[in-house]
Amino acid sequence: MELNSRIPSGPLAEKWDSHRFQSKLVNPANRRKFRIIVVGTGLAGASAAATLAELGYKVDAFCLHDSPRRAHSIAAQGGINAAKNYQNDGDSVFRLFYDTIKGGDFRAREANVYRLAQVSTEIIDQCVAQGVPFAREYGGTLANRSFGGAQVSRTFYARGQTGQQLLLGAYSALSRQINSGGVSMYNRREMMDVVIVDGRARGIVVRNMITGAIESHSADAVLLCTGGYGNAYFLSTNAMASNVTAAWRACKRGAAFANPSFVQIHPTCIPVHGDYQSKLTLMSESLRNDGRVWVPKNKEDKRPPAQIPEEDRDYYLESKYPSFGNLVPRDVASRNAKEQCDLGKGVGSTGLAVYLDFGDAIKRDGEDVILRKYGNLFQMYEKITDSNPMVEPMMIYPAVHYTMGGLWVDYNLMTTVPGLFALGECNFSDHGANRLGASALMQGLADGYFVISTSIGNYFGSETISPVSSTDPAFKEVENDVDTRLQKLLQNSSGGPAGKVTVDDVHKEVGRLLWDNCGMSRNRQGLEHALEELPKIRDKFWSSVYVPGAGEDINQSLEKAGRVADFLEFGEFMIRDALSREESCGCHLREESQTEENEALRDDDNYSHVSVWEFKGDDQAPEMHKEPLVFENVTPSQRSYK
Amino acid sequence: MSSIDLTLKIWRQKNNDSLGDFETYILRDISTDMSFLEMIDVLNEQLTREGKDPVAFDHDCREGICGMCGAVVDGVAHGPDRETTLCQLHMRKFKSGDTIVIEPFRSIAFPIKKDLMVDRSALDRIIQAGGYVSVNTGGTVDGNSIPIGTETAELAMDAAACIGCGACVASCPNSAAMLFTGAKISQLSLLPQGLPERKERARSMVAQMDKEGFGYCSNEKECEAVCPKGISIRNIARMNREFLRSLLLGE
Amino acid sequence: MWFVSFIKTSIGKKLVMAASGFLLLSFLAIHAFGNAAIYMGSKYFQIYADFLHGFPVLVLIFGVGLLVIFIAHVGVGLLLFFEKRKTASRYEVQTRVVENTFASRTMPYTGAWIFIFLIIHVFAFNIGKPEGVQISMLVQQYFSGFFYSLFYIISFIALAIHLNHGFWSMLQTFGLNHPRYNTLISALTIAVPVIFLVIFGGIPIYFMTGGAAGY
Ligand SMILES: Cc1cc2nc3c(=O)[nH]c(=O)nc-3n(C[C@H](O)[C@H](O)[C@H](O)COP(=O)(O)OP(=O)(O)OC[C@H]3O[C@@H](n4cnc5c(N)ncnc54)[C@H](O)[C@@H]3O)c2cc1C
Ligand code: HEM
Ligand code: FES
Repeated sequence: MELNSRIPSGPLAEKWDSHRFQSKLVNPANRRKFRIIVVGTGLAGASAAATLAELGYKVDAFCLHDSPRRAHSIAAQGGINAAKNYQNDGDSVFRLFYDTIKGGDFRAREANVYRLAQVSTEIIDQCVAQGVPFAREYGGTLANRSFGGAQVSRTFYARGQTGQQLLLGAYSALSRQINSGGVSMYNRREMMDVVIVDGRARGIVVRNMITGAIESHSADAVLLCTGGYGNAYFLSTNAMASNVTAAWRACKRGAAFANPSFVQIHPTCIPVHGDYQSKLTLMSESLRNDGRVWVPKNKEDKRPPAQIPEEDRDYYLESKYPSFGNLVPRDVASRNAKEQCDLGKGVGSTGLAVYLDFGDAIKRDGEDVILRKYGNLFQMYEKITDSNPMVEPMMIYPAVHYTMGGLWVDYNLMTTVPGLFALGECNFSDHGANRLGASALMQGLADGYFVISTSIGNYFGSETISPVSSTDPAFKEVENDVDTRLQKLLQNSSGGPAGKVTVDDVHKEVGRLLWDNCGMSRNRQGLEHALEELPKIRDKFWSSVYVPGAGEDINQSLEKAGRVADFLEFGEFMIRDALSREESCGCHLREESQTEENEALRDDDNYSHVSVWEFKGDDQAPEMHKEPLVFENVTPSQRSYK
Repeated sequence: MSSIDLTLKIWRQKNNDSLGDFETYILRDISTDMSFLEMIDVLNEQLTREGKDPVAFDHDCREGICGMCGAVVDGVAHGPDRETTLCQLHMRKFKSGDTIVIEPFRSIAFPIKKDLMVDRSALDRIIQAGGYVSVNTGGTVDGNSIPIGTETAELAMDAAACIGCGACVASCPNSAAMLFTGAKISQLSLLPQGLPERKERARSMVAQMDKEGFGYCSNEKECEAVCPKGISIRNIARMNREFLRSLLLGE
Repeated sequence: MWFVSFIKTSIGKKLVMAASGFLLLSFLAIHAFGNAAIYMGSKYFQIYADFLHGFPVLVLIFGVGLLVIFIAHVGVGLLLFFEKRKTASRYEVQTRVVENTFASRTMPYTGAWIFIFLIIHVFAFNIGKPEGVQISMLVQQYFSGFFYSLFYIISFIALAIHLNHGFWSMLQTFGLNHPRYNTLISALTIAVPVIFLVIFGGIPIYFMTGGAAGY
């Protein structure tokens, strides 16, 4: 497999400009002759579908939900970054670029990240023009906050609902195109496979989730905007339907997968409280601006928090990282929380939680100020846990949150399959080994509003794409594959449930395996163990999973089963990737690679590359390729938050 | 943490063409820390293990923001807790021995797909009729060149907070979508970006709303009361004003 | 026609209700003002009535206009009433989160009562008016009957109840809902009906209690 990242030559700051100039264009009158499939209507998908339709292409958009507006992007709370430097605090395109590269622990491409920082400012303008109600200052200008430990205030926000407002903006643009006929919207369709004709992506096969019908759709290019795969762990902050299916099916058809083990664990989530738990709820990172993280010094100390005096509390982040304190990056905060709990100092009924205490902040700023800042987060917390953070410290624990890994794409966002593009969280492109807060929304919209139109024009302009219809035998063949697989998922149903396992049973089991061995900190032994266990779980799934109902009907169990089956296959990629990366970097600690002070130790000599995995067949180990990372404009430094 | 025993009466309906009916289920040892949907998860696991068809229901984020979940619980859309979606409703609001009646969001405009799952695409079509600012990607002015006072920004955000769950429709004696439509029209009529199209927008969105079969408003205020985002009927007044404006001043 | 298509919409119908309600309300205001002359004695009241009938064409136009407005109000009101009946009880368990005010729940019924009242009232004082009897005398004649007076009083109470919700509802339909004025509006939803009740309801009481001895 050849990996050509197609990074334009020339100075960093001019690459995007010169690339746009060198890219081929499609005559406006010819655009309507091209059909583009967009799978997913999150920030990336909705913005791409709307933008391409505005340009005159015919777009078919697909999503799992009953409405495009429900994509998981809606849940983002904190905000979106942009290098506007409205606050005059020294921000610039280069600084956003630098922070993102450094935050990603020098495992991302310079050119991609620089472009992201460049278009970030246009994103804000675009969203404002659509009527996104960003927070404002008294004078009417846009408000900013500092987010996720950034030294400048460059995060734009709309209360705690930034993702929702941005998505509704993109959804409104999409709705306008649906109304004008530029986009045909297909709701409640689950993409089951990509169809490749003559080496190019030419369509998809979907399951109609209402009728169970298997449908083929053909096009001249296919865009996957299907989000992240955090749900491989069963418990995550992702929405229930988030999945790897679309990306994984593409991978099995030849699209290489990059850095599958790069998973971000968010430090401030509401802890698990029972095995019936279906998902974890994120509490915005901004809470760490005022909350102090602590555990009892003594692990036998089971007193309620209010009765633990100051001298018996261990504010471990403040003591270990005096200059950043509670604002250390996500990975550091998460890892330390886990460490404290592993030491037996965790709090709460499960011992898997640490305190986030607002007591001092309330004393310092008064109840009013704290309530104004965090009131709705506190309310949400109280709704779930029945405890009021104004009175009792919050309890938090890390949870799987975001996947930096994704389909490998070149500078044009094209995967290793010509005509198949990946946008948003489902590609790997911009965040390296760790994503900065408020940068995922930025990336999704950058890809959809500003990058993909150039790539698509260039692709259509430079290749001759012969017409294909969905009656082509290639589609029939894939339809058959899809059908066979669905039948296989239902194969155990006839004998009734006795002695069988449910989909959730298996999902929990694989989730646990990944969390324990392929989570925030990993070691060879655990990963090898996981690699042995995973096929056993997979076998159990296929031999004894019980999926009620039929295929020709609404069948939510069948939908879940299909997704879990894909996690079971894909999990192996994650584990192998983790195993092969014998360095600590970004979000994960490789236990064999630590400094003397037990901090993560990156190994630039051996691992300054993207690990790109190629699927080789169901019974074969995948093959790893390396895309070397070249740093010409920044010097990789060891992160230090001491 | 404590646990409770419950009797559930749930609406079961195979598809839009078939007739539905209530089924009764008994659940034991439900932790009061569970969310309502986790309680249905438990029921579904139980049904699956018994070889029965699990209850179909829509859900996704389980954080109260995607607007996908929703059912009428004991006659109230999203259940007894105020400003709460069904996924954020917790079982501590119920007592052991309670019988809970669970029905889908009903409206002529929301055909039932299966059990508690309904088709709310009518709401999408209302947005498609004009719930946007007609601006193409690119070529926009700098964000700060459109100053918007905090009060206006806050009011617009109040309206924009709508999650499109359809509880307003489900709870309205007339199955009106006034709160939903009013919220979107309000957001865009408060902000300067929305003004150029305001007359056309009010007219076409209201027309679409009627076409979908939603009812009129008789000021029952039930929508506002069940709205998980606390959206005020002031937005309906604003929509009425916008509509009147387009009636009097439109071409 | 654009106007017709507007009127057919859900909000358009409500606007018909509100606009006709407003016009009826305006009529009531004028009517109340005129009738207040009763409290000044039969002479003045008769002067007022004669003055009014000095413009027969105007009275006719007013009357017909009023009838049209009234029919529109009643017609659309009935339409909305039946529409609601179709959808209101679609759940097994019916629970109201906000208990509707009595006034709002009974709008069609108070409306119907007013309707019946108006038929009787118009018949008595206009269509069925005996020849040669002065209107000021007629009033006295009618209101000396206890049940007749009681019927009027009950009707005015019904009207007040109707207006208690109707006034707020009308403003909401016209889009007048603003936190700064909402206290004023809620005060008016009481004040306006009460004023009508006092002026109109006062008339039969005036006669019944003997307050009109010198009439
Ligand atoms: C709780 C939470 C808070 C966050 N907060 C922030 C924040 O403050 N700032 C920030 O920058 N980022 C934040 N993020 C991250 C960010 O929200 C996501 O990374 C980003 O929104 C992903 O957008 P997307 O368009 O790539 O995918 P998604 O929004 O996940 O959309 C995926 C789409 O694909 C569709 N789809 C998926 N699979 C299929 C299939 N097989 N067939 C058909 N359709 C399919 C879905 O229906 C959906 O429309 C947060 C994430 C979470 C979980
Ligand atoms: C003098 C007589 C009347 C006056 C002054 C009057 C006034 C009003 C007003 C101001 C409203 C509020 C309009 C709105 O909701 O925007 C209203 C509503 C209403 N009126 Fe009347 N009305 C009168 C007679 C009647 C009659 C005879 C009926 C007969 C059925 C009636 C039925 C209704 C109904 C059902 C509503 C409620 C509409 C709704 O809220 O959906 N009214 N009225
Ligand atoms: S599941 Fe998203 S709002 Fe309830």
